[in-house]
Amino acid sequence: MTRSEMSTKKLLIILVLPSVVIIFFVILAPIMFSFFISLNKASPKLGGIDLHWRGISNYYNFFFNDPQFWLSVRITLYFTIVSLMVELIIGTGIALVLNREFFARSLVRAIILIPWAVPTVVNARLWEWIYAGNDFGALNGILKVLGILAKDHNVVWLGFDTPFADTPILGSFFSWMGVSRALNMIIIADTWKVTPLVVFLLLAGLQQIPKTLYEVGSIDGANSWKKFWSITYPYLKPVYLVILVLRTMELFRVFDIIYILMQYSIRVVGVYTYEIGMKFLKFGQGATLSFLVALFILAFTLIYIRIFYREEV
Amino acid sequence: MVSTIRVKRKAREILLYTLILIILLWTLLPLIWLFLSSIFPYKELISNRLNHWIPSHATFKHYLSFFNPEKEISSRFLSALRNSLIVASITTLVCLFFGSLAAYAVVRIQFRFKRTMVLSLMFIRMLPTITLIIPFFIIVNLVDTKLINLFGANVHLYDSRSLLIILYTSFTLGFVIWIMRGFYLTMPEELEDAARIDGLTRLQTVFKIVMPLSSNGLVATGVLAFLLAWDEFILALIFTRTENAVTLPLFIAELGSQYIHDFTQISAAGVMACLPPFILVLIFQRFIVSGLTMGSVKG
Repeated sequence: MTRSEMSTKKLLIILVLPSVVIIFFVILAPIMFSFFISLNKASPKLGGIDLHWRGISNYYNFFFNDPQFWLSVRITLYFTIVSLMVELIIGTGIALVLNREFFARSLVRAIILIPWAVPTVVNARLWEWIYAGNDFGALNGILKVLGILAKDHNVVWLGFDTPFADTPILGSFFSWMGVSRALNMIIIADTWKVTPLVVFLLLAGLQQIPKTLYEVGSIDGANSWKKFWSITYPYLKPVYLVILVLRTMELFRVFDIIYILMQYSIRVVGVYTYEIGMKFLKFGQGATLSFLVALFILAFTLIYIRIFYREEV
Repeated sequence: MVSTIRVKRKAREILLYTLILIILLWTLLPLIWLFLSSIFPYKELISNRLNHWIPSHATFKHYLSFFNPEKEISSRFLSALRNSLIVASITTLVCLFFGSLAAYAVVRIQFRFKRTMVLSLMFIRMLPTITLIIPFFIIVNLVDTKLINLFGANVHLYDSRSLLIILYTSFTLGFVIWIMRGFYLTMPEELEDAARIDGLTRLQTVFKIVMPLSSNGLVATGVLAFLLAWDEFILALIFTRTENAVTLPLFIAELGSQYIHDFTQISAAGVMACLPPFILVLIFQRFIVSGLTMGSVKG
């Protein structure tokens, strides 16, 4: 072994070891422990926990004997997919507008980023107040001023009615998915906070596109819609993949905003896990659920990467 | 012909500025409402929104009450602010130090388990915090039982800032390594080679050449990590209870009772919690945007 090889190995250990040790103690070991717990019926007892081996029956029971689990999955899927669509459409729109030349562009861009810096808890309470279902609520107030809402009528925005409940197929589909007005309003509140992130990632991507491509496109007589799909979109595709992966994993694990606004009444998988594990103190089932959440996120990511890379071949 | 082109251009410009105005309103109106709510007197805030949008007797007393030692809320607010600042800063500094070194090694040094390591980093990045709360909870209980038996009731992890810092490391360190890895992947290697030819050892090169050169990346990553820790809620919800460790997000989430939600107070606390992130974002805007894109480098 030469001297330089020796020093490389030593260097590697000095640089990497602290992080590896920390990660082992705060992530890997707890995860392995959690997997073990998930194979048990576990409950707290004085100074420790009570364990009864159950094998995979916790997993089996969620999949085959627990309608609430699948309802939670459906609600979370609805929240994730609808949020993603809204964020992508609004985000793309804003990014395309901000990519043009206009007065005070850098100031406007700085302002756009601000909601993203609002802490999630503050965001939740801010929208709770905007959505207040009485005369004091700002959304009710604005709609009344604009004449959209009758002056003596108030909408309870964070209420549980199913949207389109009276429309035949749509209504029963939404109630099967567990959609409520509150859930839709929370999607708007969450979108307000995270769209700036989508916008800025897209803007960075837009700057990579050579201007000459658009000039060629104009000469060929392509309209804006065509130009977007034939020039802009191919360039932005890697950015969209990143956004999809990042946002899906954040959305599917959602907990804070829903728990703060609705406690246990909208059981997305994050809230359901917390309820089973931390409220009812069923550690075994809670650990099982938390693993299932992680597995769902992993599956989504793999699916995205598959789809995007297959298209490229 | 010329005039129709000019009219078209004018129309386009008007459309563009209308769109920008809409975007700005959508972005700013909720924040303006948050601030206005915080300077309303309570009695005025609880009034019909048809005509009460701007307080006729604006007051900053809700802010002042946070700093007035005679008010009950003051000590709770100040301790929450202090806890949040301490926990977020220390977590950020620790993770930034160890994480950037590890990221550098992962990019520059060839070793056998490199691929495995990068893959596990990606999995760690995707892992939801909720997956860790149950093992954390059980382990903290076990450790605390031992500690209390050994040292008495005052020594425990639960409800302490140290515990929060340890737990926050779980999601911050992987994040820092991932983003700094993106940064080093784009940093040219020539300068380091030159430094080594000049007789510096590799470790010296890391501390004297690489770290100063990556100050931009470190600042960007540091700000993002701080924001992440500042925003954390669920771990604080489970592992803190008193002024020893309750953080600002938990304080704000629990403001108000079952019957009365005093949104003047809540809004004022909300504005205060927004200030550190806003200042960071406004000062480091360019760094943050580069940090966000660094994290999205493929590999």
